[in-house]
Amino acid sequence: MMASLFIAISRILPTQIAYAHCDIPCGIYDPHAAQVGAHTVIRMTQLLSELKRVDETKAEHDVARITHVKDDHGNMIEEELGTLENDYFKEEHFKEYPKLKELIASAVKLSAKTRQTIDMASAEQLLETVLKISEIFYKTKNLVPIRVKSPYPTQREIVVYK
Amino acid sequence: MLLSSFKIVGHSMEPTISMGDKVLVSSIPFLIFKPKVGDIIALKKNKKILIKRILQANPSAGTESYFVRGDNDKDSLEIGWVSKKEIVGKVIFKI
Repeated sequence: MMASLFIAISRILPTQIAYAHCDIPCGIYDPHAAQVGAHTVIRMTQLLSELKRVDETKAEHDVARITHVKDDHGNMIEEELGTLENDYFKEEHFKEYPKLKELIASAVKLSAKTRQTIDMASAEQLLETVLKISEIFYKTKNLVPIRVKSPYPTQREIVVYK
Repeated sequence: MLLSSFKIVGHSMEPTISMGDKVLVSSIPFLIFKPKVGDIIALKKNKKILIKRILQANPSAGTESYFVRGDNDKDSLEIGWVSKKEIVGKVIFKI
């Protein structure tokens, strides 16, 4: 009874993000996983758009699997960016790169949108935003970020460093 | 926050609360009772809401503070003691 009430309340209330990150400052941070996630969201969006419906059952099965992977990688992007935002980036980074916080917030919103829709424009914006965050990350490490063509079927760029 | 809904990002509260779980947080319990050891709380740190468990309490007036940590069997090197004013509510339900 109480559980049903709480579940009903939770559906009405707007959901915010609360963080439960690893408490150990391990020092191992990298934007690469978020980039891979963003490329995967693009690839899954491509596959959904290219899906053939010759066999309806197979098509439904494929849609379910591809959507599941798209969802998982969207979640992964949010988790990876959340770790960078909370555990790695410090106040001085946000001061030096005033758009950083806005970029992270934007990436999280785009990630949610790409999970809710089959929208290549949003997926591309998501990747571009993640790439910009990655560039800032490497700059904070006193490294020189460069964009190179990725070896992935997405045919888009990734950010690495010199 | 009388009552708020949060989606969890991170693994530090596993196995109690997992990544992607939703929780309801309310400030009402701590308006009536003091936080106690074992409570899972939401606290505000660097403008962000964190979910942790209270492991030790120092409820003395003036210096009321609580030692918090995640359940994920890891040392809390970054959070540690938090003041009462940083605590925004108690996790009252996990969905």
